[in-house]
Amino acid sequence: MKKTIIQGLITIILFFSTWFALMQIDWLTVFKVQKVTDKTEEKLGNLFWGIFQNTEKENRNSFVVSSVDSIVTKICSLNQIDRELIKVHIIDKEDINAFAIPNGHLIVYSGLIINSENQEELTGVICHEIAHIQLNHVMKKLIKEIGLTVLISMTTGNGGSEIVKETAKMLSSSAFDRTLEKEADIKAVDYLINAKVNPEPFANFLYKLSDIENETTKYLTWTSTHPDSKERAKYIVEYSKDKETKYEAIMKIDTWVKLKEKLKK
Amino acid sequence: MITLVKFSYEPGEHEAEKASNSYLMSLIAVIVGLPLPIINLIATLIFYLGNRSGTYFVRWHCTQALLSQLSLLFINSFGFWWTVSIIFTEETITSKYISYIIAILIFNLMEFIITIYTAIQTRKGIHVEWWFYGNLTNLICKSK
Repeated sequence: MKKTIIQGLITIILFFSTWFALMQIDWLTVFKVQKVTDKTEEKLGNLFWGIFQNTEKENRNSFVVSSVDSIVTKICSLNQIDRELIKVHIIDKEDINAFAIPNGHLIVYSGLIINSENQEELTGVICHEIAHIQLNHVMKKLIKEIGLTVLISMTTGNGGSEIVKETAKMLSSSAFDRTLEKEADIKAVDYLINAKVNPEPFANFLYKLSDIENETTKYLTWTSTHPDSKERAKYIVEYSKDKETKYEAIMKIDTWVKLKEKLKK
Repeated sequence: MITLVKFSYEPGEHEAEKASNSYLMSLIAVIVGLPLPIINLIATLIFYLGNRSGTYFVRWHCTQALLSQLSLLFINSFGFWWTVSIIFTEETITSKYISYIIAILIFNLMEFIITIYTAIQTRKGIHVEWWFYGNLTNLICKSK
């Protein structure tokens, strides 16, 4: 009996050690899985960005672009994120919205900047979107919603322009599921703290928007696609409570004011 | 891994054939049910149930075949559902997953080869006891 148990245990250990030994090899590189995925993502990113470029008006004002860039650069450098990966675009549109599309494209609507009371609120939203990019949520969502086969056929030009347009629209106007949103929120708070930006205004922003949500839902795309704003504000505050450090502003206050004025014109 | 042991009695021609068939049954089922791990177990189980009242030699080998299938069922099912979750949910292919699939392929292949060998030997009336499964069968299967 004892011998059988020992032999059984050895068999189980043998299986798990085989698995563990095999895990030491980076199979994704061996089978070039990552390369194919990266290529698909790159193509999809260009495809979707092309659609937004054609249908929306991109703001290329050097002051506006460099101001928003300064936020992204600071966040990236203090969080060990490759700055080259994040490609920021500002779109002139009154909707309060920001979203990520594949291959690190981060699209920010001017409406979001205008309606942010201070730069910390905007930084919070940007961090949240960078977190989605870094955690690979964008591709996960796409694969879940429309499937890898359709995605690959899109990159080879067989997807049909309607499907591509609809998917781009879906990316800009629908949320990730609750767990992914929470994951991105928590990650965003980490980014903010590492960059010495107070996360509280980000929580306030969510709270504030959820309050006026019912009155003016028309332009509040970002919060209406991100449900339970109040609950999110609550766990953001809770999570950042014991992490307080000395906060400092990324942009000078007059730069921030000038940025908003420039966009309002 | 496998040991040739003298059985308590010399099995007859008919017995050897039946015992050998229990392994063949699982082999055929492996081929048919490759993507669905439960099929080989069901096939072996049916054969086992059919031969429950058979002679000791036949019963013994049916039990060994069944037990080996049972443990494969666990690792294969896990791999099967992992694959399903990659296809249908947001789960992605990772190095961990590929390693698991290779590990179960190695273990299945090993079992496959040993099963063929055992089927041939038992057909000749030679008693083959597997590492662990042989002992386990000895505990479960008693001569009346």
